[in-house]
Amino acid sequence: MTKAPRTTAALDVRGLTKRYGSRVAVDDLTFSCTPGSVTGFLGPNGAGKSTTLRILTGLAEADAGQALVGSRPYRELDHPARTIGVMLDATALHRGRTGLETLRLTGRAIGMPAARAGEVLELVGLRDAGAKRVGGYSYGMRQRLGIGVALMGDPEVLVLDEPANGLDPEGIRWMRRLLRSFADAGGTVLLSSHQLREVQATVDRLVVIADGRLVREGMLDELTSEAGTRVGAEDPAALRAALDRHGIAYEQRAEQQLAVSLAPVDVGRLAVREQIVLTALGAADSGGLEDVFFALTGQTDPAAGPHDAEPVPAAIF
Amino acid sequence: MRPDLDLRAYFDTRATAILMTVSLLALLAFAALGGLLVPLVLPEEVVDVETTVIALSLPLSLIIPAIAVLITAGEWSDRSIQFTLLQRPSRNAVLLSKTLAASVVTAGVVALAIALAAVTTWIGGELLGQGADFSSMEGVMTTQLATLGSYLLISLAMGLLTQSSVLGLLSAIGIPFLTATAVPLATLTGSELFIDVVRAVDLPGAAVALGDGRAGAFELLPLALTVLLPAALGVWRWNRREVG
Repeated sequence: MTKAPRTTAALDVRGLTKRYGSRVAVDDLTFSCTPGSVTGFLGPNGAGKSTTLRILTGLAEADAGQALVGSRPYRELDHPARTIGVMLDATALHRGRTGLETLRLTGRAIGMPAARAGEVLELVGLRDAGAKRVGGYSYGMRQRLGIGVALMGDPEVLVLDEPANGLDPEGIRWMRRLLRSFADAGGTVLLSSHQLREVQATVDRLVVIADGRLVREGMLDELTSEAGTRVGAEDPAALRAALDRHGIAYEQRAEQQLAVSLAPVDVGRLAVREQIVLTALGAADSGGLEDVFFALTGQTDPAAGPHDAEPVPAAIF
Repeated sequence: MRPDLDLRAYFDTRATAILMTVSLLALLAFAALGGLLVPLVLPEEVVDVETTVIALSLPLSLIIPAIAVLITAGEWSDRSIQFTLLQRPSRNAVLLSKTLAASVVTAGVVALAIALAAVTTWIGGELLGQGADFSSMEGVMTTQLATLGSYLLISLAMGLLTQSSVLGLLSAIGIPFLTATAVPLATLTGSELFIDVVRAVDLPGAAVALGDGRAGAFELLPLALTVLLPAALGVWRWNRREVG
């Protein structure tokens, strides 16, 4: 699969709003996904991820705003499944049909040759289970088949909701490689997941939402490296005073050190200007995507102890 | 519109294989009952093809709703409609396609039933030595076909309205059954109002009147109340219902 490089957004969500009665499920949400990238779509339960994906794929209608696939709404695409492959819920696959027939039927519906079903079955690692009915598949096998259905049309865009659910470690590794190679070939991937470690290992961009609103959009590296700088000084009080004078946020850390919301080079410059002797200077340890997620969404990490459960102050970011 | 896809999707599942096998066995059994057993039990009767078709209308009154409702509403119940609408986003085209597919399968089953009725009637007539009476074939092609057509229309309307296999089957089988039961009860009461109320929802009764050439404007009322109105609501809901 080789995709022609494009610069315009493959997926473009603009001012999307969806209400159910008085509850606002998606609130003026705007983000985009560009070719060649794997975008993680994160948010707590009920944040509006699935609603957004349903609107994006024409399964629900927005009250306001637009969700476009290559500048057109999904329902107006000439060959939707050959433009965008979608897997929202693998448990919705018909249980009474075999895996191979599921793919053949998909191929026939979207105008792909019959041989494509066998190729995709092999690609998703279900060659030996093709004659088995989907009702006899494990959850992980259904996930693979669901991804296979999404890939049948050889699309330029993939939208996957919780694709790693039910996959064993080998399956997760397979999926990670699949999505990476898909994006490297110029494809666009938007994946929603709760498995933050897997997201961190797979995506290069993040869209984080909470309560239906966009909290943060950006490159994974940018977001996870924003933990700031760890700095120690001979005179900690002087350092704190200097930071206060410049309105720079900081947190007290162990061993007389502070976590400062500046890049290390800027902390160094400040110390020179303020004539403060530093005893330690370096990038603060980042807890990775989990810390970023819990901080951005205002959630508390249930696995964390009382001290770690404190949300990272927003100023740090 | 791709009825070929809906036909294939319908026929390649285990549930359909079971349903069609059971349906075929039921049709064979009732064709044998109407064409062979009835003449043996009642030897003074002429072996009549319409009698055999009437015997077959009992299993058909269950088979037709099962086919029509499962094709139109089955994917909503098992949620596989999500994949269908992702691949074929034009909801009206999918709806029309499924309606057409259900009609084609029903027509095939009814044609098979009439053929079975003709064969067993002929065999019954030969066994009794008096020959079979096919003069009532006109009644089969008018009154009986109209009645079976009414079962199909109600079933399609209920499948579209409920978008649920269970509710659709209950209503598609239940409405003709209840009206067939209510008609004699209404007649017994002698109340004109009660009779008219029952007639207003008795589509099979209206179909018989149409087949017999007795239908008037009143017979349009059951068509409107049990087919057109629920189908219109079903189409409206089909286009707005969220999937997932």
